[in-house]
Amino acid sequence: MAINMKALFIAAVVLIALGVVFFAVSKPPVTSPTPTTTPPTTTPAVSQIVIGVTDKVTDLDPSNAYDFFTWEVLNNVMEGLMRYKPGTTELMYGIAESHEVQEGGKVYVFHLKKDLKFADGTPCTAQDVVRSIKRVMEIQGDPSWLVTEFVEDVVAVDDYTVKFVLKKPVSYFLALLATPPYFPVHPDYKPDEIDSDQTAGGVGPYKIVKWVRDQELVLEANPYYHGEKPKIERVIIRFFKDATTLRLALERGEVDIAWRTLNPADIESLKGNPDLQVIEVPGAAIRYIIINVKMPGTDNKLVRQALAAAIDRADICKRVYLDTWEPLYSLIPKGMWSHKDVFLEKYGEGSNVELAKSLLQQAGYSEDNPLEVELWYTPTHYGDTEKDLAAVLKEQWEATGMIKVTIKSAEWTQYLEFTRKGALQLSLYGWYPDYIDPDDYTTPFLHSAANAWTGSGYANPEVDSLLDEAAVKETIEERTPYYEQVQEILAEEVPITPLIQGKLFVAAKKNVGGIVLDPTMLFRYWLLYWKE
Amino acid sequence: MAALRTYIIVRTLMTIPIVFTLLTIVFIILRVMPGDPITAMVGMKAPPEYIERLKEEAGLNKPYHVQYMDYILGIIRGDFGRSLIWGKRPVLAEIFDHLPATIELTIFGFIVSIIIGLITGTVAGVKCYTKVDTTLRLYSIIAYALFIPWLGMMFQLIFGVYLKILPIGGRIDPGLTVGWNTVTGLYVLDGIITGRYDIVLNALQHLILPSLTLGIVLSGAYTRLVRANMIDVLSQDFIRAARARGLSELKVLRHALKNAFIPILTMMGLQFAILLTGAVLTETTFSWPGMGTFLLERIKYVDYTTIQGTIVFFAIFVSVVNLVVDILYALIDPRIRY
Repeated sequence: MAINMKALFIAAVVLIALGVVFFAVSKPPVTSPTPTTTPPTTTPAVSQIVIGVTDKVTDLDPSNAYDFFTWEVLNNVMEGLMRYKPGTTELMYGIAESHEVQEGGKVYVFHLKKDLKFADGTPCTAQDVVRSIKRVMEIQGDPSWLVTEFVEDVVAVDDYTVKFVLKKPVSYFLALLATPPYFPVHPDYKPDEIDSDQTAGGVGPYKIVKWVRDQELVLEANPYYHGEKPKIERVIIRFFKDATTLRLALERGEVDIAWRTLNPADIESLKGNPDLQVIEVPGAAIRYIIINVKMPGTDNKLVRQALAAAIDRADICKRVYLDTWEPLYSLIPKGMWSHKDVFLEKYGEGSNVELAKSLLQQAGYSEDNPLEVELWYTPTHYGDTEKDLAAVLKEQWEATGMIKVTIKSAEWTQYLEFTRKGALQLSLYGWYPDYIDPDDYTTPFLHSAANAWTGSGYANPEVDSLLDEAAVKETIEERTPYYEQVQEILAEEVPITPLIQGKLFVAAKKNVGGIVLDPTMLFRYWLLYWKE
Repeated sequence: MAALRTYIIVRTLMTIPIVFTLLTIVFIILRVMPGDPITAMVGMKAPPEYIERLKEEAGLNKPYHVQYMDYILGIIRGDFGRSLIWGKRPVLAEIFDHLPATIELTIFGFIVSIIIGLITGTVAGVKCYTKVDTTLRLYSIIAYALFIPWLGMMFQLIFGVYLKILPIGGRIDPGLTVGWNTVTGLYVLDGIITGRYDIVLNALQHLILPSLTLGIVLSGAYTRLVRANMIDVLSQDFIRAARARGLSELKVLRHALKNAFIPILTMMGLQFAILLTGAVLTETTFSWPGMGTFLLERIKYVDYTTIQGTIVFFAIFVSVVNLVVDILYALIDPRIRY
């Protein structure tokens, strides 16, 4: 019996081992720099790049999509009248070839390029542009305010001319036109309801050939694209559930590019891998503290200034984010026109404890009578590091010896509700821009008609008027002084304290070329290529 | 057979109050939880009036008892409702999009756990109180206590990163399914049906690490159960009689296993629910696009209808599996009557 059992056991182990080895050795070669790794029998070999992400595509309909990664995909399969020049925040024409501004900035007339076609060859005309924008206005999805807040009417003058009549002049209207709600969509999109799984796309460089939700999105070059043809025929987006698996997949060669979002520790580690390249550029995401100016304690400007003075941003970046973020001294991010390091000028670099103490003393606080504040954070929405960020801030403020901080947290939805009700004294938040313009970094926070969501209770007629003026001036030169003045007032009154600015990281195989990133945070797949 | 039919009908009817209770509990928990799906979805930039309009449209402004009745009546009609977020797709469509991935992983994980459990349990039972037995008992304790994501990551590191012989995540190589339409959603089966053996092979390669992870962790319980039953059965008179009659050890073992199998079958039914739970962790570790990761994501967004629908679906699913196991009893052991 003993022999039989032993033999049975050994046989089973050998069988399992053989099975594993069989499947392992029969595995086709891992993704190589050259075209397709495993050519399926039914599809021809094409040049291909696989991009791994931990993000998700929420909604393939620009009337309702309102998150960064989905907007990135839409920017690769659709195109609007305007778009950003890759690597910059400069606007250039997309499907338009010229435009005129009339009636003091209230009317914009765009002339379309000729022979525009959707990915299946259907012509795209001014009527399609108008139909798509009106569809967004009618459906009233999440991002529809980007149209309805500004556009009174949009009409097709002829097949190649689109005319916008605005509710009032808006200096950053061209930036708005580069957002997905203004992109023309294929006539297959349902006319009056959200069409979340529609893959017909628009007139972008790529078309969607396969989409398995949460699994993969396969794009192929659009043969009718009006611009330069993409160098890579097929781009596959693979969706990962966590950053660690994404990192391992890159190291193993299952993906060629690891994009949003790798862990800070993984980025550091990948930098040391000789087979990979890690590209880093400033991003447009910012983090800040909303300060409730109506709540006892922080209703005193001196207290708010003291809190701002005691913060050491470089220390936060180093300890909490392993330098994957950088210090930010204004709400308008570095690299954007009109940015001014107002908090640096006013409170200095690092933690200015002496200034903070002096301001607190003026406000009537002392070591025996410390200021007591509540700092709120939300544990998951901004990642696992949020608790550490709150702890470091507490440590920095309490280093003055005159501030006592209580840290509290709430889940995201509850956090939002508390914030809107003005129930939080100090709350940690982050911002991704809707359009790349200083207006999007100032008006939603500081204009009394737009900042109710912050719960800060801040209202200053002078700031309102400066922002209103800046929004109607036509040139950057005219608008800059207004935003500079608003930033000066921000540093003086401190209803919000800017903290840090994000950096973008892409890790890719060494021989992947054409990775161009900029503060728009959009990855242009059509620029990618394999280096020789 | 009439008794069996009655039993099946009674068991099926018993499922109804179970599902109903579960649905009520989930309904209450979701409403007690802070936040709501609309706020979670639209985020901080949406104006309050827009949020109110969406809540109105979704029926979230109705009193709770009205929402509850609406939902119960919907379920009775077979209408699981629509998701409250992202395109508001029908919940059943969402479930059927993600279910095949979980079923495939569960089946393979189940097979692995049974194979390992039966082999280790039988060997330990036959070799009871020897070093082999001690080693296998130790294995069962360690396997049972292992944390799925940790084991999964170890496998990913060893087989995926160091040895580079197995894929570390996903169901299939990217781009392989372009131009290929699934039939059942189970890639291995569909590959066989459509004659795409490259897909079968590739899907199997992707299944190895997740199903090994899941299977090993769940095999611990089988090892212990099979061992205990084997020891018990092997000491019974009919085994002694069989040996006395000169039957080969293999034949003796076959008889013993068959008799030891009934409690194991019960365990299989119970383990199936645990398998689904384990699949949640395994799916997250291996980026497996199944029900587990889907449910976790929707819990984050407090998507009431999807969470409720998914849990009800799971409850029905597990009840049916348990019912099937009960019926199998009768087929395996003719002594069992209902």
